[in-house]
Amino acid sequence: MPRETALYDRHVALGGRLVEFGGWTLPVQYEGVLSEHRRCRSSAVVFDTSHMGQFLFRGPEAARQLGRIGTQDAEALAVGRCRYGFLLNEGAGVLDDTILMRLGPEELLLVVNAGTAEGDLRWITGHLGPGVEMENRLADGWGKIDLQGPAAARALGPLVDVDLRALGYFGVSRAVCCGRRCVLSRTGYTGELGYEIMAPGEELGTIFDRLLADEAVGPAGLGARDSLRLEMGYPLYGHELSTEHDPIEADLAGFARPEREFIGAARLRELAGGPPTRKLVAFRAGSRRRANPRDAILAEGRTVGAVTSGAFSPSLEVSIGMGYVELASADAGRGLVVDTGRAELPVVVAEKPLYGGGTCRTKDL
Amino acid sequence: MVPKDLSYTNEHEWIRVEGGIGTVGITDHAQAALGDITFVELPPAGAAFAKGDELCAIESAKAAASIYAPAGGTIAAVNEALEDDPGRINSDCYGGGWICRLELSDPAEVGSLMDAAAYERFLAQEEH
Repeated sequence: MPRETALYDRHVALGGRLVEFGGWTLPVQYEGVLSEHRRCRSSAVVFDTSHMGQFLFRGPEAARQLGRIGTQDAEALAVGRCRYGFLLNEGAGVLDDTILMRLGPEELLLVVNAGTAEGDLRWITGHLGPGVEMENRLADGWGKIDLQGPAAARALGPLVDVDLRALGYFGVSRAVCCGRRCVLSRTGYTGELGYEIMAPGEELGTIFDRLLADEAVGPAGLGARDSLRLEMGYPLYGHELSTEHDPIEADLAGFARPEREFIGAARLRELAGGPPTRKLVAFRAGSRRRANPRDAILAEGRTVGAVTSGAFSPSLEVSIGMGYVELASADAGRGLVVDTGRAELPVVVAEKPLYGGGTCRTKDL
Repeated sequence: MVPKDLSYTNEHEWIRVEGGIGTVGITDHAQAALGDITFVELPPAGAAFAKGDELCAIESAKAAASIYAPAGGTIAAVNEALEDDPGRINSDCYGGGWICRLELSDPAEVGSLMDAAAYERFLAQEEH
């Protein structure tokens, strides 16, 4: 049986269409994927992301040891900052992509994907030594909501005790929101200005309700979350990332720099000695027809890769996607063909992000 | 919302017959289940289909569906407005969101489809 988040009753009351995702029951949409997507780009939406894992690490050894397990340099990460990175296996295959948040000198929070959370937990505990305590906050009933969109700071500002102008992109802070203690990070998965709010489930419901009481904010489901992240060229674990792929070919080598020692670093140094055989690219199609995961990508009639994600882009009004292709076919501007099984869909390799209007880095709050 | 003057299939297509031509679309129930429609693969003009053949395919933001011929015939026209604005199927499925017109090979085939009352009963059963 898939698990329900603390906001389940609210999703039902809001008319959410519920689906199973990563072992959880979550809304794929409320009013509609396209309107929720556009609302995020033009105003603000809130997503229930309580399915994602939250692991809290405390102790004098926490930063040093975490920096040897994941690709983020936890010791160099300043208090109040977040960093994207990976858990890799010894072969540099991606076990998960994560965000590491430094809450204090001896306190770090790792946010991980839902479907991989249990495996991550075993992997991390298997590599931790003395001097670190780990709390699985998901098991303790914590949840998370993501408020995303250019109006996010205006909607959240009056509800929190921190000055949002002082919380820059990838900043994190403890906060009080609607009288509830929470962790607040200026991160997200949409390319827009936004915040992730982590709190115990029952407290999260109050915050969710208060945000939705603002007419600038609407609820959004997994459907819009997927098309928003794809317009930004952000990877989704299980699609663009898996143990079959390493960060170099995923075009994310900057988030796994093997000058330091961490699990998989030795293999990354070997891989960095030559060009990758394939590379993750984003593409836009010449029509609205969708490319689907595992569709073959062809160049001059020969298979050179496969699609990992595809969606209709509400911002660009064409079909977009991502996929791994041979290096010789990976340059921006290269014309390729996706074989959808029903039709040959012409696509063009494009620079990431596919949508350039995102407000995530704005300083104008 | 089930118009009285149409005939319905159990795959949630509708057909309106006027002078040997059948106009085909999908029902309000079908468009609501699919959600925002993002692409319609229109059938080629002049192509012939038997009753129950796949006419074309529709993609929505999170799903895809096949559309089947409610009766046999040849494609006499397609709704080209759907190429740039497939959302017409969501906003006006029985009007501006029509998909294609078939020159029917045997208009009597439509007689075996459901009328509005039968389709409403069918929808009520499907919900249980």
